[in-house]
Amino acid sequence: MTRTVVALQTPYRVSEPDLIARVLAGDRIAARELYDAHSPRVFRLAFRLTGDADLAREFTQDTFVRAFGQLARFRGDSALSTWLHRITVTVVANAMRKVKRFRERETDLEDVHPVSSDGAGVDPVLRERLHRAIDDLPEIYRTTLIMHDIEGYTHTEIAEVMGVAEGTCKSRLSQARAQLRATLADLAPELES
Amino acid sequence: MTEDRFEELMRDAAHTYRKPPQPDLETMWKAIERASFGASAGGGSTHAGRSKPRGLSLVANRWVAIAATLLVGVALGRVSASLGRTSAQPAAMASMSVASATPAARSDSSTLAQPYEVETSRYLGQTAALLIALPSEARAGRADEQLASRASDLLGRTRLLLDSPAANDPTMRNLLEDLELVLAQVARLQNDHSRTDIDLINRALEQRDVLPRLRTAVADISAD
Repeated sequence: MTRTVVALQTPYRVSEPDLIARVLAGDRIAARELYDAHSPRVFRLAFRLTGDADLAREFTQDTFVRAFGQLARFRGDSALSTWLHRITVTVVANAMRKVKRFRERETDLEDVHPVSSDGAGVDPVLRERLHRAIDDLPEIYRTTLIMHDIEGYTHTEIAEVMGVAEGTCKSRLSQARAQLRATLADLAPELES
Repeated sequence: MTEDRFEELMRDAAHTYRKPPQPDLETMWKAIERASFGASAGGGSTHAGRSKPRGLSLVANRWVAIAATLLVGVALGRVSASLGRTSAQPAAMASMSVASATPAARSDSSTLAQPYEVETSRYLGQTAALLIALPSEARAGRADEQLASRASDLLGRTRLLLDSPAANDPTMRNLLEDLELVLAQVARLQNDHSRTDIDLINRALEQRDVLPRLRTAVADISAD
């Protein structure tokens, strides 16, 4: 645990390309350093996309197992973080297609996304409706919106992760937001533009 | 104003929508290290409990598990062949016995390797038996733990089959994927499950036409 904290608080002693080379040579310490540096954000992304802590853990693990297994293919054209997040989005998308039907049904019954008490200024009903509206967005719109508006990725980063043009990414975000506005219009008429 | 209000909502969502918990990085790392660098990794005997990933555990134990299930399948097939059909067996299991007893007579043109076919056949029969019995057992509130336990076992075998040549056939793969979802639901049934839980499972079975497809698959594989 101490090691995790140290690794997160201090920059690499060696550069990321050097760490990658060491991992390729079988160095577990280097692998752990890469993991410590990138796993919190990978987990956050996986959780935001799934809304389920167990699945997020599983997908984070899958992401790193795949990443270490395919590290030789990483050519450094993009940042390692971008490459990792691309794997995460792919892992999550593939797996969630399988469970989506049941997740949707369960959502009706047990509300798997408890609303946090943060942000007390917003009407809880409106907030809950917004959360459900985000859940109901088509996958590509939802992923784009979550990455941009919730997790703070730039359009450039999202475009690289999703393998699309930046313009496509902006267009998807715009579509996603338009759908959210339309969904919320009956609760907050002033949102209808 | 409109934009401001919407932006305010989205800013709120950034703090409230699926707010991530603190991940247990150490536990996840142990599983990753085991899968990526081998069993001897970092005192890898420390198991992560529920955090142990399905994918990783499959990678780690896949061949051992497949070998074990195949051995059991072949052994049961031979026993079934020597005993013939027994009336005490449920109908689905009886058809499995026939299927298990006959692979030696099948031609090499079968699309599945024999061991996989035997295991698939057994698995389909047992799954059919469970799903057919589910409504009455669950309605009566009987044997919930047993149901969940059997479903859990079948769920594991579903995943093994999905990763095996048995899933090369698209029709079989689709069926296995649907069964995976249904069995996951059954495995999660609690003692205090509501009527709605069962209804959801039944609805899933009906909407996906699972039972008829399952019966067809059992019949097909037995007839091969």
